[in-house]
Amino acid sequence: MRIKFDEQLALLNHELIAMGALCEEAIATTSRAVLDNDRALSERVRTLEYEIDQKEREIETICLKLLLQQQPVASDLRLISAALKMITDMERIGDQALDISDTAGFMGPVAPEDAGALGDLARTVIGMVTDSVDAFVRQDQAAARAVVKRDDEADALFDKIKKSIIERLENSKGEGEYSLDLLMIAKYLERIGDHATNIAEWVEFAETGQYKGGEVI
Amino acid sequence: MTKRIFRSVFLASLVVFLAGLALVVGALYNYFTEHQAQQLRVEARLAAHGVEKNGLDYFDGLDESAVRLTWIDSDGTVIYDTDADADDMESHTEREEFREALEYGYGEGERTSSTLSEKTVYYAIRLSDGTVLRTSESHYTVPTLLMGIIQPLVLILVLALVLSGWLASRLSKRIVGPLNAIDLDKPLENDVYDELSPLLTRVEHQQRQISDQLEELTRRREEFEAITDSMSEGLIVIDSTGLVMSVNPSAREIFGVDRSSEGRDVLTIDRSPELRALLEKSASGERGEVYINRGEREYMLTASPVITEGGKRGTVLLAVDVTEKLRAERLRREFTANVSHELKTPLHSIMGAAELLQSGLVKPEDQERFLSRIRSEAARLVELVQDVINLSRLDEGEELPREDTDMYALAREVSANVADEAERRGVKLSVTGESATVYGVRRLLWEIVWNLAENAVKYSKPEGGTANIDVHKLENGRVRVTVSDNGVGIPKDQQERVFERFYRVDKSHSRETGGTGLGLSIVKHAAQYHNADIAMDSEPGKGTKISVTF
Repeated sequence: MRIKFDEQLALLNHELIAMGALCEEAIATTSRAVLDNDRALSERVRTLEYEIDQKEREIETICLKLLLQQQPVASDLRLISAALKMITDMERIGDQALDISDTAGFMGPVAPEDAGALGDLARTVIGMVTDSVDAFVRQDQAAARAVVKRDDEADALFDKIKKSIIERLENSKGEGEYSLDLLMIAKYLERIGDHATNIAEWVEFAETGQYKGGEVI
Repeated sequence: MTKRIFRSVFLASLVVFLAGLALVVGALYNYFTEHQAQQLRVEARLAAHGVEKNGLDYFDGLDESAVRLTWIDSDGTVIYDTDADADDMESHTEREEFREALEYGYGEGERTSSTLSEKTVYYAIRLSDGTVLRTSESHYTVPTLLMGIIQPLVLILVLALVLSGWLASRLSKRIVGPLNAIDLDKPLENDVYDELSPLLTRVEHQQRQISDQLEELTRRREEFEAITDSMSEGLIVIDSTGLVMSVNPSAREIFGVDRSSEGRDVLTIDRSPELRALLEKSASGERGEVYINRGEREYMLTASPVITEGGKRGTVLLAVDVTEKLRAERLRREFTANVSHELKTPLHSIMGAAELLQSGLVKPEDQERFLSRIRSEAARLVELVQDVINLSRLDEGEELPREDTDMYALAREVSANVADEAERRGVKLSVTGESATVYGVRRLLWEIVWNLAENAVKYSKPEGGTANIDVHKLENGRVRVTVSDNGVGIPKDQQERVFERFYRVDKSHSRETGGTGLGLSIVKHAAQYHNADIAMDSEPGKGTKISVTF
């Protein structure tokens, strides 16, 4: 019985890493699509988003099977419940990556003066997603906490982009639609950062039972 | 086992005790009743004797009798009874002992009381006058007897229980004790029951087998590790469930992981899309290859599924560093492209000139110019082909005859050779230094100095340029040839690449300066052939200094 259980846990672990990797690829691809204005890439993002959704369903099934058939306790239970929460965040990352590439399709190329800040934000967020998956892979709590801290960085970059858009609109020299699309993309990126933070927090929970610094179970 | 032995011994002793008790009681009872019947008969005969003699008076002299006596008339009426009033008693004609006595002279009978608690035994004798004298005695039946002695019996039973329980537990412990004390690590050194020795011998045998196999396994693993540890290729072995079985040091270095990834999911080592696709392919039983970038280097990952009769056993991932190979391939492609280009250009101009001449469109006074153009381009082609041949000879690394060569004399010869060119370009060419001997291939040494000198002249300042060849011995006995100019120089970022074949700082492939683009490449290879070091010191606009140290 235990052997079967261990096998299923190993499978869960494998699928989680795979889903994390898909998210990384999705956000990295979508960022390239935006910054290089490469339409061909948005098709790839769509495929990735679909794959992420599939993975979410698969992992959900594994988790529920484990819960119902094996009645796990202690750290196993924590891992499974954390997994259920993490895949929700990962699925959102996939959705938002697709939203970004869709928005970028309408928007056209990013103006050179925005490219710097948006690129910084994208790089920060990609780093956060990668690090949160890494934290899960290596069961590294320090890395998980670092991701949580880095969210402030992403928020600050988003604020910077927002301010520059406001400034441009006040000077009434920017095209309104472009500015709004840019703001949306920045906001989506910022949200992805939040999801990465959530994932990191659940990684910490799976390891220690502490969630956002407090005991849950 | 202790429990079982205890239970068996305990039950056995209990059964033996109860059976014994029952047998003893039965035997005693039988003996007792038999004895009683015997006594009854003796008593009856004695009484009969008395009654025959004295009649009813006999009973008067009998004050107390152990047995009950009844005198019955031949018609069944009781004449006298020792225990009851004769008048109250019913007729005894139906009693079996009475009837038997009337018929045969004596009779026996026994009857159980209505409560079953007592049994009465009768013995009757017919007297000479036809009357019957009967003796009878009552005694308890077996159940009643047992009931009577129930208290001591229970006591005995309890005692027996305790005793057999104690014995059983002691016995079982005594039997099991040595079994528990067996040292299974050294089975044959135990001295227990003989019945166990086949088992212990077997255990010993299997133990030896196991330890042999373990040793064999350890040895094989060590061999495997020794082999994989010294591999320059990265090797990762994955089991059928996707867990990493081993990662050799090269793979650990390539993927930046440590030993802790062994026993964990393969994706913890690397989760790039390329690898995942590769693993998926391998999961379906196919071999696959993929190129990945790690840091500055490129690797070719090969995933081979391990398939045995029992199905898929896992996957072997091999990471081979192909950075050099890819670079060499790129260089070869560039080289081919360059050679074709370099060959085509002069051929085109030769063909163009020849066509013009053939069609008679060239004025007679211009013919000389066209012909000389054809000649010079053809000469360039020959030069180029010669360079390529030289290079490929060097590439093949064939051993050439070596001899002692005076580099200073060689430098002077070269200087004389390129003097014309220098004069044409207005460059002042000089040779300085001292005589120094190098043991090497004269032709190659000549190539080195000539190419360097030609370059120095070509790329020196057009007006008032200088070029210098300097030969001198170093303190450690090595010989250094330095060729310097004060010309255009080479930008820092291109100084490495000028030694590549056909690489030109001037990308326009300008024909102004001539040359094949192979000069420095030949210098490099020839220097390598002599194990010489090349050093370059150049600054754009100020000049170039290249020194070769033998």
